[in-house]
Amino acid sequence: MNNVRNFCIIAHIDHGKSTLADRLIQACDAVSDRDFHDQVLDDMELERERGITIKSNSVTLNYRAKDGELYQLNLIDTPGHVDFSHEVRRSLMACDGAIIIVDASQGVEAQTVANLYLALEHDLELLPVINKIDLPAADVDRVREEIDEDLGLDPFAAIPISAKNGIGIDEVLEGIVQHLPAPQGEREAPLQALVFDAQYDSYRGIVLSCRVRAGELRAGSKVRFMHSGREYEVHEVGYNRLKREKADALPTGGVGYVITGIKTIRDVTIGDTLTELGRPADAPLPGYQPAKPVVFSSIYPMTTDEYPELTAAIEKLALNDAALVYQKDASAALGFGFRCGFLGLLHLDVVQERLKREFELSLVLSAPSVLYHVTLKDGNVIDVDNPANWPEPVDIDGVEEPYIKASIMVPENHMGAAMTLCREHRCASIQTNYLAKGRMEIVAEMPLAEVLFDFYDKLKSATRGYGSFDYEELDYRPGDIVKVDILVHHEKVDALAFLAHSDKARGRALHYSEQLAKSIPRHQFKIPVQGAIGSNIIARSTINAFRKDVTAKCYGGDVSRKRKLLEKQKKGKEKMKLVGSVQIPQEAFVSVLRTDQP
Amino acid sequence: MRPGIAVRPDNAGLYVHVPFCSAVCPYCDFAVSVARPGEHAAFLSAVSAEAHNYRDWPLPFDTVYFGGGTPSALSGTALQELLATLRAALPIAPDARVFLEANPEDITPAYLGGVTGLGVHTLSLGVQSFDDRELRLLGRRHTGAQALEAVRRCLAAGIHTVSVDVIFGLPGQSRAELEVTLRAIEQLRPHHVSCYQLTIHEGTNFHRRERSGRLTQLEEDRQAELYEYLTRRLAECGLQPYEVSNFARAPQFQSLHNNKYWRHVPYLGLGPSAHSFDGSKRWWNLRNHRAYADALTEARTPVDDCETLEAADLALETLMLGIRTAAGIDLDAYRERFAVDLASVNAELLSELCALDYVECTPASLAPTPRGMAVADALAAQLDTGL
Repeated sequence: MNNVRNFCIIAHIDHGKSTLADRLIQACDAVSDRDFHDQVLDDMELERERGITIKSNSVTLNYRAKDGELYQLNLIDTPGHVDFSHEVRRSLMACDGAIIIVDASQGVEAQTVANLYLALEHDLELLPVINKIDLPAADVDRVREEIDEDLGLDPFAAIPISAKNGIGIDEVLEGIVQHLPAPQGEREAPLQALVFDAQYDSYRGIVLSCRVRAGELRAGSKVRFMHSGREYEVHEVGYNRLKREKADALPTGGVGYVITGIKTIRDVTIGDTLTELGRPADAPLPGYQPAKPVVFSSIYPMTTDEYPELTAAIEKLALNDAALVYQKDASAALGFGFRCGFLGLLHLDVVQERLKREFELSLVLSAPSVLYHVTLKDGNVIDVDNPANWPEPVDIDGVEEPYIKASIMVPENHMGAAMTLCREHRCASIQTNYLAKGRMEIVAEMPLAEVLFDFYDKLKSATRGYGSFDYEELDYRPGDIVKVDILVHHEKVDALAFLAHSDKARGRALHYSEQLAKSIPRHQFKIPVQGAIGSNIIARSTINAFRKDVTAKCYGGDVSRKRKLLEKQKKGKEKMKLVGSVQIPQEAFVSVLRTDQP
Repeated sequence: MRPGIAVRPDNAGLYVHVPFCSAVCPYCDFAVSVARPGEHAAFLSAVSAEAHNYRDWPLPFDTVYFGGGTPSALSGTALQELLATLRAALPIAPDARVFLEANPEDITPAYLGGVTGLGVHTLSLGVQSFDDRELRLLGRRHTGAQALEAVRRCLAAGIHTVSVDVIFGLPGQSRAELEVTLRAIEQLRPHHVSCYQLTIHEGTNFHRRERSGRLTQLEEDRQAELYEYLTRRLAECGLQPYEVSNFARAPQFQSLHNNKYWRHVPYLGLGPSAHSFDGSKRWWNLRNHRAYADALTEARTPVDDCETLEAADLALETLMLGIRTAAGIDLDAYRERFAVDLASVNAELLSELCALDYVECTPASLAPTPRGMAVADALAAQLDTGL
């Protein structure tokens, strides 16, 4: 146990976490150069492309240290984004120490701090590393100062490296052995193993990643999940060395995989504790927190005949994404689809991208929503995330909406712009903290619904790309929330209805009606496009009746070309959604529901 | 094909595409280019060779149309020889009407003398506008004054139908600017006017300018206003629309040739990019005039591609072309050809379109109103052929 180190790497996005992981793996010869492809831990195409890690993973490395001893290093990968903080948490629970990376040119960012707090919460020892020292803009001294002042860590312990160019990798490995602690735990006690990850393997079913806290996890033993109560036989245990390597048992302090014949990820709760049936532990390990969705949206196929494909794709995706919650949904305008719950905006984005890319589906997503607590006049409290389920205004006594604590880090000269942005997004309270050398932290309490659309993009442009943003969920607070219906030619378009704060309702309704007016082709009659709260019209645009064709010529007997154009136009009409007597092209829904606009 | 679908006419139309211009206009997407030395001769012998390929054409031609490009780029003598060659190779009726397109700057007394000698029935002048600023924008090589003079000369020469071709809906064009051209037409009193709305085609200079933001197409409502205005003004001048873009002083001045395109009457097209139709098949020649001439020199076919029109295609064309004409769609003829009652297939839509003043429906015909004619394409897209 003394020669084992369980650690993770935490960093702000793009600060080089995956690259450092690659170098550590290479340095320990866990993978031959021939098999090596950059960022081996990120095994999804999307992860590699976006340079973010979505699913946790772990790898066991053998390292011969300068003291001559052979160490077993268990590198536990963590996702780098706020949406996945519960995944970060459970990864951290499997560790005893963490490497914290700071970019030598960018310095400490919002997620660096957020991750630091998470690591401290879990009592992890921290080894700071300054990456990208080869960059022209690198300022190692300034970053050391930030590590001291913003992170409160020993600046002189920080190891300067360039993961990309392989500089300082040996020093990091030695640092892990010398500064990070060995695991603790009672070898003879009843088994307590933390399940911190699960992945679907089409041949073996669910493969769990576990950290043994006490006792020993043996192949062939019978185990129970202490929270869910499910019982299984352990078919196989072993270590992840990029390929699975079988072992007889995972000892106390060990990190490895467990296969028990579980078929679906729905039967696994990450954070659960495994114990032995014959000699169970008294209590499960602490820190168990089920993931819960906070952002909701309905997903429809672009053409209704793609619904079976969408169903298959979502089911397949959910095999590996326990946090994705979904149920069948139907819209008069868009047909069958799914109401989905996500951990946050990035999670929504990733699911949407994966459906498009891995399953080649064209999708329409309804406006993202948060979960509101609605108190009815009869005293009942209901949770509503879907505008379709919003009660009649007369039945509502009050509404509460979720708030977040947003942490925004900006250079001092952009602070005004960032604070204005927060105020525009209904922030309830705002505080500023001076960090090192001209950097500020803004801590704002604001509604989660306010950051669902374009907040991050606006922050980036208001701060010339220097602002970083992170948030944690706070609580529920009263809000004047209304349901806005969108009416095309006096017919409600159910898929376009949205829930919004009354201050924001009109602006968004106007944006919707203008976008629709732009993308719905003219008809033989004038079409009003309206936004309404109940019977009260709050926004209106008009699509004029058609008056003049664009193509007037039919010259020299070239009738074929014109006929083919017309055929194309008629085909296009077939694809349109009919709302009342108005044909709405799919592009109209897409243009309205794009989330990068208010 | 089911019997009855083909129109059974007594005559066909002959079209000859002359692909040359003195310069290529910045909005034009037709198969045209500026001729190099010797290319006129190569073109003429290619057309002659192509005409001989069709010596067994079954129907007599009662219209011969020289279009382009700029047919007046050919000299009067060259045109005379071309017509003689065609008459020798093809069944052209002795009294066939000859249609000729010409540019105003080419209408010299000598040229005019030559073409009247050929018995030209209709002379279409590519005036486009009588306003000098607009003519410069359109890249034309004549002035408003030259255009006025050319139309006067043609009218004085006693040609049966003198047509003035106009382009409207220019970027930023106001009613007052269009009025300059309309007033000239009012004074000149031509027999026929064609008014084409400026459309910006891909690959043209205008399209490049539009993409780079240096030129903006007039928006739909402004186009509609100009079209409504010019329709009203031309009516005041005695010119009635008989098709979306064509206006005639009296029925005898309507284009007998163009009517064939609209009514599925067979036509033979010679020259690069020319289209032909025999009642069920349509084929078209190579666009590039050099490739066209080379093919014929090497005794290969100059045909680029062809299609056989199924009943559904013919029905859609009948609908799409018929709704562009003032006479509209002949419902009895449609029922006879396609065994479909168009009015009952579209009953619900038609009652709506009637109520909104887009179409007029009688038991015999379905015709656009003036308001409907402006959106004939949109109406065609709504109507169901029933096939």
